[in-house]
Amino acid sequence: MTVIALTGAQAGLLSCETCALLTRPADAAEPGYCPRCGGELAWRRHHSIQYTWALVIAAAICFIPANVLPVLSTTTLGSVDSDTIMGGVVFLYTSGSWPLALIVLIASVMIPLGKLVALAYLLITVQRGSLGGSRERTRLYRMVKFIGRWSMLDVFVDTFTVALVQLQPLMFVEPGPGVVFFAAVVVLTMIAAESFDPRLIWDSLANREGLHG
Amino acid sequence: MAENFDRDDLPQATVVPKRRTRISIVWIIPILAAVVAIGIAIQRIMSEGPTITIIFKAAEGLEAGKTFVKYKDVNIGQVTAVKLSSDHSKVEVTAKIDKSAADLMVEDAKFWVVQPRVTLSGVSGLGTLLSGNYIGFEVGKSDKQQRKFTGLEVAPIITGGQPGRQFVLKAENLGSLGIGSPIYYRRLQAGQVIAYDLAADGKRIELKIFVEAPYDKYVNPGTRFWNASGVDASIGAGGVEVRTQSLIALIAGGLAFDTPPFVVTAEPAPANTVFTLYTDQAIAMKQAESISAHYVLYLNESLRGLSVGAPVTLLGLPAGEVTDVGLDVDPATLRVRGRVEVVSYPERLVATLRAKQATVGEALIRSAQQRHALMQRLVEQRGLRAQLRSGNLLTGQLFVAFDFFPNTPKVKIDWSRDVPELPVVPSTASDLEAKITGIVAKLDKLPYEAIGADLTKALADLSQTLEDTSKAVNRIDADVTPGLKSTLDGLRGTISAADGVLKSTDATLVGKDAPAQQDLRDTLQEIARAARSLRVLTDYLERHPESLIRGKTEENP
Repeated sequence: MTVIALTGAQAGLLSCETCALLTRPADAAEPGYCPRCGGELAWRRHHSIQYTWALVIAAAICFIPANVLPVLSTTTLGSVDSDTIMGGVVFLYTSGSWPLALIVLIASVMIPLGKLVALAYLLITVQRGSLGGSRERTRLYRMVKFIGRWSMLDVFVDTFTVALVQLQPLMFVEPGPGVVFFAAVVVLTMIAAESFDPRLIWDSLANREGLHG
Repeated sequence: MAENFDRDDLPQATVVPKRRTRISIVWIIPILAAVVAIGIAIQRIMSEGPTITIIFKAAEGLEAGKTFVKYKDVNIGQVTAVKLSSDHSKVEVTAKIDKSAADLMVEDAKFWVVQPRVTLSGVSGLGTLLSGNYIGFEVGKSDKQQRKFTGLEVAPIITGGQPGRQFVLKAENLGSLGIGSPIYYRRLQAGQVIAYDLAADGKRIELKIFVEAPYDKYVNPGTRFWNASGVDASIGAGGVEVRTQSLIALIAGGLAFDTPPFVVTAEPAPANTVFTLYTDQAIAMKQAESISAHYVLYLNESLRGLSVGAPVTLLGLPAGEVTDVGLDVDPATLRVRGRVEVVSYPERLVATLRAKQATVGEALIRSAQQRHALMQRLVEQRGLRAQLRSGNLLTGQLFVAFDFFPNTPKVKIDWSRDVPELPVVPSTASDLEAKITGIVAKLDKLPYEAIGADLTKALADLSQTLEDTSKAVNRIDADVTPGLKSTLDGLRGTISAADGVLKSTDATLVGKDAPAQQDLRDTLQEIARAARSLRVLTDYLERHPESLIRGKTEENP
């Protein structure tokens, strides 16, 4: 028995995203609503690429001030000390604790940046209709989605520090404007990952096979 | 023509599915993010001030990102980098200055490192113990912007804009002065020493001082400055006088200035005028002598107690001083005598004249010829002579006095010599000696032997007289005493008789158990009893008046 690789769209069928009921669309252009749960039916998520692009670009813009502006300003005996994320990494590295520096560097700089690059790569390949590595790209997408929820760690630590270290007037810590942008980067990339429809990765392959078949 | 073709042969219009080209509302998010980011960037760039470089000799306590630049205790910038200069001899400190203070970065602005400083005259910069050192800043007056500065080693004491003026003092040595040493004007603190340096020739100290504003106008070209450190004690006719400026000046040193009364008050001195720093007030306030006349005196008496600098007086007023004391020997005759060289300052004497006479006096001493003529006349006609006098009996200090001795022989002064010789008279100290010698001589002439003989005779007479007196007394003893004795014995018998009488009387009348007393006591008791019965009777009669008539009735039970 030969395995037939057939997508729902190729078969002219739709799966409801809410209750997974397989339906025939009312019309190819306007699929209508799910007869069972009433959810709106769509071949693919609406404006998935456009949405994702918009959010990725917004996150990329926010990524710059998140790294340039200080995330934490420590006031010790009247002298104010403002630290950026990279400043913290450099401080940790120069003070000898390079493993910590590495962790901060990976968690706070490389992962957000990696997410942005990964999403941009997925979007570009989908738009160009690339065929190769669909499986790897899907895995990449899964990773982006998985890692997204852990990225708020920085913001979490920042908030905790600010709340705990309040020994006024000897020493107190205030959040810097950078942390807001950092949070925005994390939130925007998470939403971007959500709004991306991974089925698009496979559509070009399916279209191509369909053409040949 | 319209019916010539089949309708079906015509091409059919194609239906292109309407594509959704509408731009989604989601693009607002990146636009918003971009707007915010650009806004912040613009704000940053707009608020960005200049970055300046300050060169210090050492970066004491300066740290990148932690050290601030402060002006009037307000942060105007922050140090961003501290590194060695390219030749490794200095430290280059890079600081980012706030935009608000950007126009203060002019070429004569001053920077220095503020650190805790404890001196005798005060403690400063204590705040830096907690907050760390910072860079102090002082505005300049220039309009020319600059970005590279050289930091000062020490904080300027006088902050810009403080009214007042700077002057330069030249001193022999620094003494106990230092930066911040106070300057007093009539014991009010009027300024401070702001810097000192060795003069280029290495022989003097140049002090830069700052005299604050209302006092700076009292500094005029004739003002004298002196070192007011320590105590200046002097003993005069008015008692002991101790002069000091203040406790701080006593410990930490200080300066004082004043304008001598003889200086005509001129315009205030311009800034950076150079003055000489005198060692003490007396020297500072001394009038500068423009005219001086040198004379030599030859004396045939002891010069012990006469020292260089001893005063020369005219009628007791200061007229000059002794410049040299030594010997003079005539090689031919080997005559050795004392040589005293003096200098006189005619102006000092003219200054003591009253205003009207002063002009005349000044005319008299203006040229050398006039002075010579005046001196000649004084010596010849008025008998002006020099004399050594004792200034202090205890210490034996001598001074040279010019005085008038009209009875002295006339002398001419030889003006052709380098240093003209003035005639002298012997000191009054030798006069005294002569007088004492005279007295001693007279004492010598007294007839001590004759006096002795007379004295012996007188004593013999006295002895005779005493003997006579003794005899007279003996006679009295022999003739008068026996009669006196019998009389006294009679008197004693009389007295003892009187004594016996008195004693018996005493026993009868006043002794404790004398009979008279006993009787008296009994009598009195009788009287008391009688009185009592009388009282009983009267009581009874009062109650029973009828008893007078009826007699005493029986008492009813």
